[in-house]
Amino acid sequence: MDHRPQAWGRPRDDVYGAYDASYMNTNLPNQHTQSPIVTGTSVVAMKFKDGVVMAADNLASYGSLARFTDVKRLRTFADTSVIGFGGDVSDMQYLDRHLTELGIDEAYQSDVGGHNLNARNLHKYLSKLLYHRRSKFDPLWNHLLVAGMDEDDKPFLAAADLLGTTFTSPSLSTGFGSMLAQPIMRKYVPDEASVENITKEKAVEVIKECMKVLFYRDARSMDKYSLAIVTKDGVELSENKLENQSWAFADRIKGYGTQTV
Amino acid sequence: MAMFSQNPIMNGPNYSFAEAPKAAMDGLREHRFNPYTDNGGSTLAIAGDGFAIMAGDTRLTSGYSINTRYAPKVFKIGGTTSSQDDANILLSVVGFAADGEALQERLDSVCKMYRYRHGKPMSVNACAKRLSTILYQKRFFPYYVYAILGGLDEEGKGAVYSYDPVGSYEREQCRAGGAAASLIMPFLDNQVNFKNQYVPGSGIGHELQERDRVPLPRDEVEILVKDAFDSAVERHIEVGDGLQMMIITKDGIEEKVLPLKKD
Amino acid sequence: MDTLVARYSRPANLQRETYAEDQHDDLYNDNSPALSLKFAMPPVAQPSAWLRAATDDRSNPNCPIKIAHGTTTLAFRFQGGIIVATDSRATAGNWIASQTVKKVIEINNCLLGTMAGGAADCQYWLAWLGMQCRLHELRHKRRISVAAASKILANLVYQYKGMGLSMGTMCAGVTKEEGPALYYIDSDGTRLSGNLFCVGSGQTFAYGVLDAEYSYDLSEEAALELGRRSILAATHRDAYSGGFINLYHVKEEGWVKHGFNDTNPIFWKTKLEKGEFTNVTSSLD
Repeated sequence: MDHRPQAWGRPRDDVYGAYDASYMNTNLPNQHTQSPIVTGTSVVAMKFKDGVVMAADNLASYGSLARFTDVKRLRTFADTSVIGFGGDVSDMQYLDRHLTELGIDEAYQSDVGGHNLNARNLHKYLSKLLYHRRSKFDPLWNHLLVAGMDEDDKPFLAAADLLGTTFTSPSLSTGFGSMLAQPIMRKYVPDEASVENITKEKAVEVIKECMKVLFYRDARSMDKYSLAIVTKDGVELSENKLENQSWAFADRIKGYGTQTV
Repeated sequence: MAMFSQNPIMNGPNYSFAEAPKAAMDGLREHRFNPYTDNGGSTLAIAGDGFAIMAGDTRLTSGYSINTRYAPKVFKIGGTTSSQDDANILLSVVGFAADGEALQERLDSVCKMYRYRHGKPMSVNACAKRLSTILYQKRFFPYYVYAILGGLDEEGKGAVYSYDPVGSYEREQCRAGGAAASLIMPFLDNQVNFKNQYVPGSGIGHELQERDRVPLPRDEVEILVKDAFDSAVERHIEVGDGLQMMIITKDGIEEKVLPLKKD
Repeated sequence: MDTLVARYSRPANLQRETYAEDQHDDLYNDNSPALSLKFAMPPVAQPSAWLRAATDDRSNPNCPIKIAHGTTTLAFRFQGGIIVATDSRATAGNWIASQTVKKVIEINNCLLGTMAGGAADCQYWLAWLGMQCRLHELRHKRRISVAAASKILANLVYQYKGMGLSMGTMCAGVTKEEGPALYYIDSDGTRLSGNLFCVGSGQTFAYGVLDAEYSYDLSEEAALELGRRSILAATHRDAYSGGFINLYHVKEEGWVKHGFNDTNPIFWKTKLEKGEFTNVTSSLD
């Protein structure tokens, strides 16, 4: 123990070795031995009065390379919930297998009539799983959105990240989406009360708008995406392509690369 | 400023013999994963004569982004069911939200098991000790959480216990935790414990008489809490959106959510 | 064979994602002792280096978890027993986390411990020591000696050496066999008996006053005053000490508390009535 007044009681370098600051680095991807390799970008989702709309594009990037262009990053669970995956694709596939098995187990164990796990239960389960893995220092490098209906058949939307942090909000998005799409969605659903005024059509329109903005400005995105609409009647999962793209503004961008005027 | 820094590498007071090198040591290390993050936010608890108020803002941040504007930081602990209608203890957590939630769920399940086994709710001071040991069990891999526990003691007086991340605890009249603790705590020292308040005309300089401490009534404390948070919101980026207040009295727990500035 | 069947009857990846064991204990283990020696560890090769990176606010002022530090505590033996005195300030970096810490820990009604270093370490292990002392009493039908109690603690912290515990504590008690007995134990595993100890960031200032005035034959009144005056000197010169002066007198029948008093009025009283602290001016102009 260090007995000098200013250092009193703190670890001494000659006993503990020099202070190693690298442990406390922030999560810069390339510094980790276990780090995301093939990644998916944003997932966006917002509630409307009867359910939730969620979307994620079909691109899996390998660094800056657009490596796989047909990867579906939304998956349904028990035809009642949807999970959107951002982050590492291999960990997404692990979770996908895990959830498939969980789904089978639940289907066997539950009463006649199918599943007992609603979206809230599923979200809790996944967040516990993520937290448990971060506590083992072996995180699943994903940021998840879980959408569906809760026990009172009210729309449910929540997020869980690789550290196990959870939160819910009328609109959520992961990655770049939290900067680009979230402000657009918050304009329509700033709080829980305003969800009641949003129709399904409006929500789909807003989400599509978000996907367009993300495609324009997120370099790791693409124009094909999955879109899921969850209501108490089930999940509608569809594949979409961005229509009416306009790159006219590109003409006016100046100052990059070899362009000099 | 630098001379007040305790840290020699930041030009603080230093000693004639050399510091050991600060460079990272060599050798193997298998993980470079930082399991902690700071989700911001602030909490506050004040004990009164027959009540205790626990409060927290509802913003949850990571870095400069606001994840959500409504994530409660104050929880009821130890009810019979998940609705927590008959809970008798309040817990506020701030720091790393996932650790906070894990801690909250763990303490709640401990209190629930106690209730099932003993047929009575856990007393606040027993719960306070238990929370301390739960935190200390993770002494070598701490919960990054600043917890405050509140309730009514055996005499019906408000009780507030504050904790550091590894479980040292102390019963106090008031305590602020989290991001804006350094903004709120001096205000509380002055307004709740009447620190640096003197009786007018009782002398000059060190002859001044300190103002007597009296327990504050509930309505005044509620205003104090709101003022403290309004001020913190003005000067701290991680605080805002909503103010969640739980007031525990002999009649039970009352919850209030008030708006705060959302910028 | 059964374990093999059990192992492969469910997919491996479903088995691995379960609750941590310690939480399981909370719920199902009826007799899990609250003060146990089971600790959750970070899953890295060098837990202590990792823990230090997360908690040493001196080497890295931006470390996430700041543990309360900084202190002046003292205890000394004299003919009438033992005086134990402490300040009450806890600091985390330059932030004063609390001004009302109880740094004298009442292990039982005869034994006192002092808190310096990590507040949680001292609170937890001295409470644990209290448990061991009580068990000793129940097993042997007589009070534990201070030597034995302090050795239990010293052996315990020595087991944890290098893990990152930080405590500098004094055990004080008076028994028939030993008379007034005072031991210093720290997290390196050091255990020393002696007449007089000061521990903490303000130790040097306290030693200055205590050594100058100390004698074993002090009267009770003079001894209490010396304890108070030594802490006062430390709170005056050490920025990491301050708050209140916590004063105890340990006798064979048990300990007696002599107040938890604000330093500020004591300082002015000492200055104005005894003419000390002439470095400070009392006039306002």
